[in-house]
This record gives sequence, structure tokens and C-alpha cells, in this order.
Amino acid sequence: MRLPLHLRWELYPVQHEAGKRAEYGGSYMEEVNWWEKKKKSSLYNEIRYMVPEILFLRGLKKENPRLWNLSFPFHFGFYLIMGTLGLLILGALCLVLGLPVAPGQGLLGSLIYYLTILSGFLGLSLGTVGTAALFRRRLRDPELRNYSSFFDYWNLAFIFAFFLVGLLAWLFHDHAFDGARAYVYSLLTFGGIPAGMAGNRTFWGSLSIVLGSLLIAYIPLTHMSHMFMKYFLYHSVKWEDIPNTGSRIEGEVLENLGLKPTWAAPHIGADGKQTWAQIAASAPKEKK
Amino acid sequence: MKAPLIKLQDIARPSKRLAQIRAEDLPPLPPPYEDFNQKNLTELGEEKTANVEASLDGTIAIGIPKPKTKEEEEKYLRAFLSGLRKLFEKKNNWTFLQPLLLSMEHCAKCQTCSEACPAFEMSGRQEIYRPNYRAEVLRRIYRKYIKPFGKISAKLAGDIDLNWNTIARLAELAYRCTLCRRCASVCPIGVDNGLITHEIRKLFSQELGIAPKEIHEKGSVQQMRVGSSTGMNPMAVKDSVEFIQEEMEEITGYKVEIPWDKEGAEVLLLHNAGEVLAWPENVGAFAIIFQAAGISWTLSSEEIGYDGVNYGLWYDDVQLARVAVKHAEIARTLKVKKIILGECGHAHKALTVIADRVLTGDLNIPRESALVLLDEIVGSGKLKFDPSRNDFPVTLHDPCNVVRAMGIVEPQRRILRKIAPKFREMTPHGVDNYCCGGGSGFAIMSGYNFAEWRTLISSRKKFLQILDAFKNEPLEIPKYVCAPCSNCKGSIRDILEYYQATERSHIYYGGLVELIVNAMAEMKKPIIRFEG
Repeated sequence: MRLPLHLRWELYPVQHEAGKRAEYGGSYMEEVNWWEKKKKSSLYNEIRYMVPEILFLRGLKKENPRLWNLSFPFHFGFYLIMGTLGLLILGALCLVLGLPVAPGQGLLGSLIYYLTILSGFLGLSLGTVGTAALFRRRLRDPELRNYSSFFDYWNLAFIFAFFLVGLLAWLFHDHAFDGARAYVYSLLTFGGIPAGMAGNRTFWGSLSIVLGSLLIAYIPLTHMSHMFMKYFLYHSVKWEDIPNTGSRIEGEVLENLGLKPTWAAPHIGADGKQTWAQIAASAPKEKK
Repeated sequence: MKAPLIKLQDIARPSKRLAQIRAEDLPPLPPPYEDFNQKNLTELGEEKTANVEASLDGTIAIGIPKPKTKEEEEKYLRAFLSGLRKLFEKKNNWTFLQPLLLSMEHCAKCQTCSEACPAFEMSGRQEIYRPNYRAEVLRRIYRKYIKPFGKISAKLAGDIDLNWNTIARLAELAYRCTLCRRCASVCPIGVDNGLITHEIRKLFSQELGIAPKEIHEKGSVQQMRVGSSTGMNPMAVKDSVEFIQEEMEEITGYKVEIPWDKEGAEVLLLHNAGEVLAWPENVGAFAIIFQAAGISWTLSSEEIGYDGVNYGLWYDDVQLARVAVKHAEIARTLKVKKIILGECGHAHKALTVIADRVLTGDLNIPRESALVLLDEIVGSGKLKFDPSRNDFPVTLHDPCNVVRAMGIVEPQRRILRKIAPKFREMTPHGVDNYCCGGGSGFAIMSGYNFAEWRTLISSRKKFLQILDAFKNEPLEIPKYVCAPCSNCKGSIRDILEYYQATERSHIYYGGLVELIVNAMAEMKKPIIRFEG
């Protein structure tokens, strides 16, 4: 279903406002005859706000520092694992092109090699600790436990299992993530195996790949998709301040006003045949 | 003794009262107000509650008649579920479908919102007032009864029963939140539990015809029937304004003419008609400023055209659209260049921001906040000021609808910095402000003991903020709370009266225009008089 244009429901500060307004929460509506002026917005202000918000959960740190202590390692661990995946893809591409990814094998190969280890190890460690801490907090804090369902614990347990299994795979077998890179290589080459990697498949490595793949498929089905949907919560609602001064908005408003509601309360007077525009132009039934 | 934690499922369980508000749980007031720290909410007698839903928390906002038969109860439940389905349909709820879906699906239940909610904090952290309590109840009902396989998944995703207790208490609970949206502003994800409260109110009004009578029957319906939610018809409002005109000359020594229905004026000024009755000096002060600054302006004597309120904003999209369209039609007939919203926060938001996607074509007449125009007038040098006339401590209350919902923050401050030498901010202020406690209709709702609940709970934070702003001032000197919003003024008036703050601390309240006129060098006598 295509979601219709909704009524404006922005909340200030709106971070794409230009200049100081983004800081104190001002808007273009602070100007006399604002509709006659060109609306200024600042991508710089928005980025300046969003980068620390996404990377470091700045809002949570300010409003709920106790939870941030647990939530930040969890989220940052996730980001590092996503970064590690990117580095693994990059490393596998290098292998496809015949460039070795190993220490002392040129600047690029060495850089990817060491960065993958750093990012992967930190990501798995932070993720494991953060998820366990969040699970414990949800279980022990009555304010959270009172609102938690089986799925809330299951989600955390699932993610914890992924991080922990990944960490164990690193600890027991794959210190340099060579096995993980070989798996990505095989995906990119439809089953190919990089030179010298045959027979390196391990239980923990395979399990972490299975869990990781399941997790990627599972997250969009849960409220954990807020990691991505936050974009829409901010850009389509909280910061959506576009005034109806142009044809695009006007056209969509007219389309909405042509819809035929069926609300049943007598004062609405909806019969499924009248449009929103007709009902808005009529008096409530109590008046008649 | 600490009360047992109320669980989400408890909303469905029969009990005489789900939550008990106790004086000892409420954050204490400082001297000289300690005697109010033992004040409990007045108990409602059996005779008042016998036939209406009163099992939530000891107060009543709506007064829903209890069903007399099982069939009647079933009918309520069917209507509730039908309304809930409609909230998620494009044709019925295009107005808020996307924001609602996003807030229903992505809450992480981290409870960060709770600390931001003044009603939750000031009630002694009553679980049912936690912003996420009512939202999570609705989420569980939605998942169980509306979504596919909901009854099976509810066992794992969070179960809840749906019965008369659930829906009746949920309806009441939707009127224990002032929709100030402070909770939404601190949510790390952007989830808006205030919006969910708003949608619950809509469900009850638009499908079941249930809403507090002050905002529906005596509010938006009366506004459309006689012209104003105050009950004033055009003739009555013209008489009252004529009286204000005479009064203004008597009070300030400045002769003012208030224009009516002037076709082709630059500005149509829309007041909250409550000002005419309760704060006539506000209406008069606007007229003085506009006349002195040479603004081409007019009032409208058309029905609805002299009352800028739009209560639909709080509970009913259809009522909101009807009033907004009428306001725009009146402006179009008068051929004005723009509509200026007077000192009324919800009218600002309703007509300027919300109705922006209701009004099309020649009904889309520019709308602007009076605070912005006043800022331009004060800053232009057209008027001469003597700020020493406002030589008393002044603090500013930020109406949520003007500040957090519209981003109009600095104009009113620029004015105050120019005309009030003893201006100081509240903590916090601006977009982080606290609601006056009268938001979303509470200021005008006073049935049963609701006004007392408001003063004790939802307005308590504002009272503490006001006291804090003046804490270093001697009790005996007059102090002024500037509240540029009619509803906020109403609830601040009630706080000051209930806690006897004018007698005990010499705290007074009023609007912004009164302060401006008070500082105008041209005025022979002050408009602000600290009396009573």
C-alpha cells in the first residue's frame, strides 16, 4: 500500500533548519510573510546532527544515560559488524582481482587485513557484551520487564547467539577472518574458493554464517528494523515541514480529500459516498 | 507503602479503581506551599459515579455511560474494533496513517519517554500515566485483534484481553495526557506516544461518538452552531468588543477603534473568543498595538470567524477540518492578505500547520503567528517604549503548540528582552518547555473533579517551574508570568488560584500584548494592574 501524504506533525527542533534555528528549535515560520521567501534548509546542520545520533546514539546518552551504557556497545557492535562485512566484501573483491589480503602484501591488502580484524573483533566483543547487558537489564528492571514479551527476550537472545558464536569462531579458528572472507569470496564467485583456503570450514564459522544470514532476514520482521526505519520516523514525520505552497503537495491533498471515509459516529455524517472535502464543508449532524 | 506495579493486562481486570493517586507520592511543593503537600484528590461520591465509567484513577474526564446489558457491552466492543481497523485504513485515516504506523511498529520499549512526561513524574510515577502504557495497550490490542494470526502470536508478542474495562479505561486514559509531545521529542527512535493518544481519542470520537462534552458538544459543535465555543453569537461578541473598546480608553487613556468586517484589510485577526470574556485586556491590547503601528486589520463578525479555537485538533480530524475550512472561507470573503492567529497556541497549530494539508486553492490563505508580527512591530521602531514601566520580574511560559509544534521560539523572546528588563527564563524552556498542564483541552475540562486532578497533577510541574523562576525574588513584590496562549493562561490562572500563589507570592499572569502595551510610552496609564 502506498502511504498517503499525511497532515503535518513535525516536532522542533527540525535539524535541517538553517543557521542557529536548528540549535534552538526555530522554524521558517518565525519570519514575517514566510511564504514569500525562499525556504532555506541546511544539509550541513542535518548531517552534523545525524552523524553523532546514528553512530553514538547522542539522544539516548542525553535522555537515558543508564541505558546508553548498555545500548551503545550493542549498537556500535552492530555497526562494526556491518563495517566488517563491507571490509570482507572489499577483501574478497581484491582476491577476485588477484590482490592478496594479508600482512606485508601491499598497502591495500595489509590495510584491509588489519582493519577487518580490528573491526570484527571489536564488533563481536561489543555486541556480545551489549546484548547480554541489555538482556539482563530487561529481565531485572521492573520498568522494562513489565512491558516485555517473549519476543523481546527472544530477539536479544538471537542477536546474542550470533555475536557469541562469531566471537567463538574468531577465538578458536578464524583469528584473521580469512574463513569469513573466503565465504564472501565464494558468494561473489558462485562457489569459488580462494587459493589456499580449501578445507578451512569450521563448525563455529559455519554456524555464525547461518545465524548471521537468518538475522538479516529476521530483523525487518521485528521492531528492530527501527535501525533503518528511524530515517522515516525523522524525515517523514518529525522533520517533515514542507508547506503547501507548491503543486505536488496540493495535488496529493486534493487526492486525499477525494477519499470517502466511513467513520460511524453520527456527527461525522459519513456514508461511504461523501468525500472528505464534502464532509469538511458540511456541518456536524448535531447542528442540523 | 509502595503500590504494586500495575501491569498492562491489569487494564482489563475488573477492580474498583486501577490506580490510586496519593498525596504522599506526589513531588513536594516548596515553602510557603507545604500545606498543599497533604492534599488528596477529592473523592467522587457513589451518586456521581454509579452510572459512568470511573474505575481508572479517581477522576473522570469523559463520563462514559456504563453499558446496561451484555448486548450493549458487545456493541461497544464491536464499535471499538471497527474504529481501530479504520485508524489503519487510507480512506479513513490518511491524515495520520504513516505517523501512526511508524509509532505502532517501532517502539523499543526503552521507557526513555517516561522521564520527559510531566504527568507521569508529577503523579509520583503512576504506571498508567507512563506515556508508553496506553500506547502499549493499544499496540497489543492492534496486534491481537487486527493483525493476521494475532490471537496466536499474542501469546508470544504480549497478550491483552479486550472487554468493557479495557476500552472504557483506555478512553479515559487518553485524557490523562496533554499531548504536549515532550515524550516524542526525547524518543531516540522518533516514536510518538502522544500521537497514539491522539489517535485513541479520534477512534472514540469518530467511531463511537465519545468525547468530553466540553470539547465536543459544548466545544466544536457549539462553535459551529452559534459561532463560538464560548456560546457567544455574533451580536454578543460585537457588544462585548464595543465594551472592551470603551474600557481600553478608560484604563490606558488611549482611544482605540476596533474594526469589524473590513473588506480588503491586510490582516484578519483571529482571537480565541475566550479572551473576549476572560481576558478582555488582551483583545484591547492587540487593538492598541495594531492601531498605533498602522496595521490594516479587521475582526470578523461572521459565525466562527471571531473564534479562532479549533478543538478538533485534540480529538477529531473531521471537526478540525470543518472549523479550519470555515476560518479560511471567512478570510477569503473578506479578501484579506493573511490570517493572524492571536495568543492561542492550539489555534496556531490547527490553522497554520495542520490545516496546511486540508486547505487548497483559494482557501489556502497565508497564516501567521501574531508573535511574529508583534516582533516585527516592536523591532521596527514604529512604537516608542519605556521598559521601566515593566520594572517587575517577568518569566515566559512557552505554549507547546507554538514552540515545540511550530518552532516559533525567538520572536517572543526578542520582544521581552526589549520591553521587560527583569525577564528571566524558566528551566527548561523553549522547545524543551513543560506543558502548562491544560493542553489538549484540559484547561476547559472541569467536570466531576477533573479540574482538581489537573491542578494537582498535570499542572504541578508548571507551578514548580514558575516558583523556581521567581525563587530569588522577595515574596511581596509583584511578578508576572507571561503566557501567550489562552488555554495556558486558563490553566495558569487555575494553578495560581488553587495554590493561592497571588496571595502568598504575589504572582500574576497575563499575555504578551499586555506587557507590550504596558511599556508603550504613548499610554497615559498602565494596562497591567496588580490587583486581587
